[in-house]
Amino acid sequence: MGRYVVRRLLQVIPVVIGVTFIIFCLVFALPGDPIQALAGEKRADPNIAAILRDHYHLNEPLYQQYWHYISGVFTGDLGETYNGRAISDIVSQRFPVTLKLGLTSFAVEAVIGILAGILSALKKGKFLDNVVLVATLVLISIPVFVLGSVLQLELGVNLKLTPVAGIEKGWPQSYILPAIVLASTSMAYIARLVRSSLTESIRADYVRTAIAKGLPRRRVIGLHAMRNSLIPVVTFLGFDLGALMGGAIITERVFNMPGIGQQLAQSVYLRERPVVVGLVTLLVLIYLAANLLVDLMYAVLDPRIRYE
Amino acid sequence: MRGAKSAKWVAIAAVVALGATACGGGGDDNSSGSGKGGNGVISVEIGEPQNSLVPSNTYETEGGQVINALFTGLTKLDADNKVVNAMAQSIETKDNKVWTIKLKPGYTFHNGEKVTAQSFIDAWNYGANQTNAQQTNPLFSHIAGYSDLNPGEGKKPTTDKLSGLKAVDDNTLQVTLTGPFSAFPAQLSFTAFVPLPKAFFKDPKGFGEAPIGNGPFKMSGKFKHNEEIDTVKYDKYPDASKIEPKGVNFKIYSNLDTAYKDLVAGNLDVQLVIPNSGLPTYHKDLPGRYIDEADSGVGYIGFPIKYNKAFQNADLRRSISMAIDRKTISEKIFLGARTPADDFISPIIDGYRKGACDACNLDPAKAKELYKKSGGLPNNTLEIGYNADGDHKAWVEAVANQIQQNLGIKVVAKPFEQFQTILNDLDAKKYQGAFRMGWNMDYPDMENYLRPIFSKDAIANGSNYAGYVNQDFEKLIVEGDHAPTHEEAVKKYQEADDVILKEMPYIPVYFYTLNSGFSEKVKSLKIAGHNILWDTVKLS
Repeated sequence: MGRYVVRRLLQVIPVVIGVTFIIFCLVFALPGDPIQALAGEKRADPNIAAILRDHYHLNEPLYQQYWHYISGVFTGDLGETYNGRAISDIVSQRFPVTLKLGLTSFAVEAVIGILAGILSALKKGKFLDNVVLVATLVLISIPVFVLGSVLQLELGVNLKLTPVAGIEKGWPQSYILPAIVLASTSMAYIARLVRSSLTESIRADYVRTAIAKGLPRRRVIGLHAMRNSLIPVVTFLGFDLGALMGGAIITERVFNMPGIGQQLAQSVYLRERPVVVGLVTLLVLIYLAANLLVDLMYAVLDPRIRYE
Repeated sequence: MRGAKSAKWVAIAAVVALGATACGGGGDDNSSGSGKGGNGVISVEIGEPQNSLVPSNTYETEGGQVINALFTGLTKLDADNKVVNAMAQSIETKDNKVWTIKLKPGYTFHNGEKVTAQSFIDAWNYGANQTNAQQTNPLFSHIAGYSDLNPGEGKKPTTDKLSGLKAVDDNTLQVTLTGPFSAFPAQLSFTAFVPLPKAFFKDPKGFGEAPIGNGPFKMSGKFKHNEEIDTVKYDKYPDASKIEPKGVNFKIYSNLDTAYKDLVAGNLDVQLVIPNSGLPTYHKDLPGRYIDEADSGVGYIGFPIKYNKAFQNADLRRSISMAIDRKTISEKIFLGARTPADDFISPIIDGYRKGACDACNLDPAKAKELYKKSGGLPNNTLEIGYNADGDHKAWVEAVANQIQQNLGIKVVAKPFEQFQTILNDLDAKKYQGAFRMGWNMDYPDMENYLRPIFSKDAIANGSNYAGYVNQDFEKLIVEGDHAPTHEEAVKKYQEADDVILKEMPYIPVYFYTLNSGFSEKVKSLKIAGHNILWDTVKLS
């Protein structure tokens, strides 16, 4: 197990170098000049623009620019934006927001999704099952920005139950509504995933045996059936954790939350290569960590799975 | 995100008509629960400032609003959009070249330091020096000695002082320009020309996060990026008694639609620009709490005159202009958030003439005739490029349809990724079609609507993307700069305006209007140059 983890961690190094290079190339390939972008539709002063381009190595070929960047990274310097803000500063300010939002959302989708799935599997074909089915269908089909805007208008502006936007009220008030909106689609998928895999497990031989042996129903479902049904759910949750950290662009925009997603969208627009590369690399690291966690969870859920 | 917020600042003479405040005598001091509650602090929507809060590095409206609250310059705009003295007691000149500026006494920086003529000189020297690569650097180019501080990339300036600046005494500043420039006092109203305290030069970077100004409000804590900038009233400000709000909380939004919802819900007090999504309903959402006024921006359609021969015929350009129904565009597409353009100069600028542009009137018959006379376009096809990241698709397509119908030629609206992409293609002489373009002034003077867009010098150093050159125009602009009085300068600039009105290097399509809203906590306020005039803000 220990060796397995070390091996997986070592694999992270080439992935990070590869990813930063690919992202760097991709952002490099985008048309547009980041220095002109600072001046908007007016022409940037040619002299000042030239000085700034020089300062940020923008006239050098791609590999040299990448070298400047990556050698900085290995000495702990993530670089700075084209208006002189340290990227480490941006990350340390924005990451907590995304982390809080992502984890709240993760908790919402895991708890509600799994509960709804269990209920619906146990009451298969009954009224409750149909309610869950219809509700999940609705959630899956509404785009996040529509759901976000509507809830914001109804709960925030009209009923004044939640803050309309921003994070000034802190956690949890400011985060609850965005987290629910962000969780909505995944929550629906999880409910359906739990429902189908649990219905299957309930019909499995080992469950019938357990019931025949006279084990209490709670123990049969809660321990034996659930443990096996959770494997696909954990896989989904693991991937989703990564997605929640980086995929909150729309939600962060609707609710004006200064998180990573908002910054990423803005930096892509302004062609701020170091910021985009830095943030994406960070997201890749989170994704890899979540992946590793999922793989380790398998062994806990199913003792037949071993790592060596 | 609101795009690269380069909509420079925009001047607005905003008069607030208040319907709903016919108070029945009694002093009702109940503030609504907006912003930070009824404590006299009002919240204002801004986008994330592009740079840290250094005045000479702030060349856009979002940071500009904060600088305007924290600093007071030599001149400012009043509610009628006229340039008046702020910190200047008097501004005098005999030849438009050497200016003597006397300062009003009593101004201090928020750290207690006295504001002197030297505070201005130090600030301008910093802004004009290429080593500091400040965004507003070119604005200092009229001051003598500018070229010594900007020898070009790769070269070091030999001095760090503008030779044209001299402190006669603590309260007298003498400025020598490179040549006569009648619009200089107007230019001084721009936030790049405010004074800086000594503390700035010790740590410019740290200063940008917590600036120390000389204005009516001072920072309370640091600039919280993407969240807020909090300020409180500065009690030692000479005009402090005229300032009603006890503080201003600039709330940073990445999205105007969200800010508008906050405004309607009462969580935000002032939003300067109501988003498109709010335009159909804001009069109903904010009864008596909105401002609709002319703004300083102009929208054009431009032509790559410098390298596409087809567009070099003025009759052709006029015919295209006459085929556009500006009224329909303003009313149907922009829901009144634009007005039909009838001059190259914005209506809020002294010197604007209503109806000056005769080719701006819809006249399909004459347009067709002119088009034929001009020889027309190759294959009778016209492309109009626009940047798809702004709200330009709808109106450019509408204009394309109108021209197609009225001239009987094929017109295509061509999307570009960003405005820069159009710019790059124009620089590379790759794109042959027409393109959309907009302009917002840097300072409220006719000159600013002419030289930076249509002069020969602006081809390399400004926004003359058409590459238009006309010797008469050049001559008249210089005559305007030399004019001994403002009135005579306006006259000369109008003659220059007449030249381009005849030649139509660009086609003016619409003027921007300012549609702002405020909460119940605010009784009235006025806006000029996209800045709130803080001494006009009255709380309910």
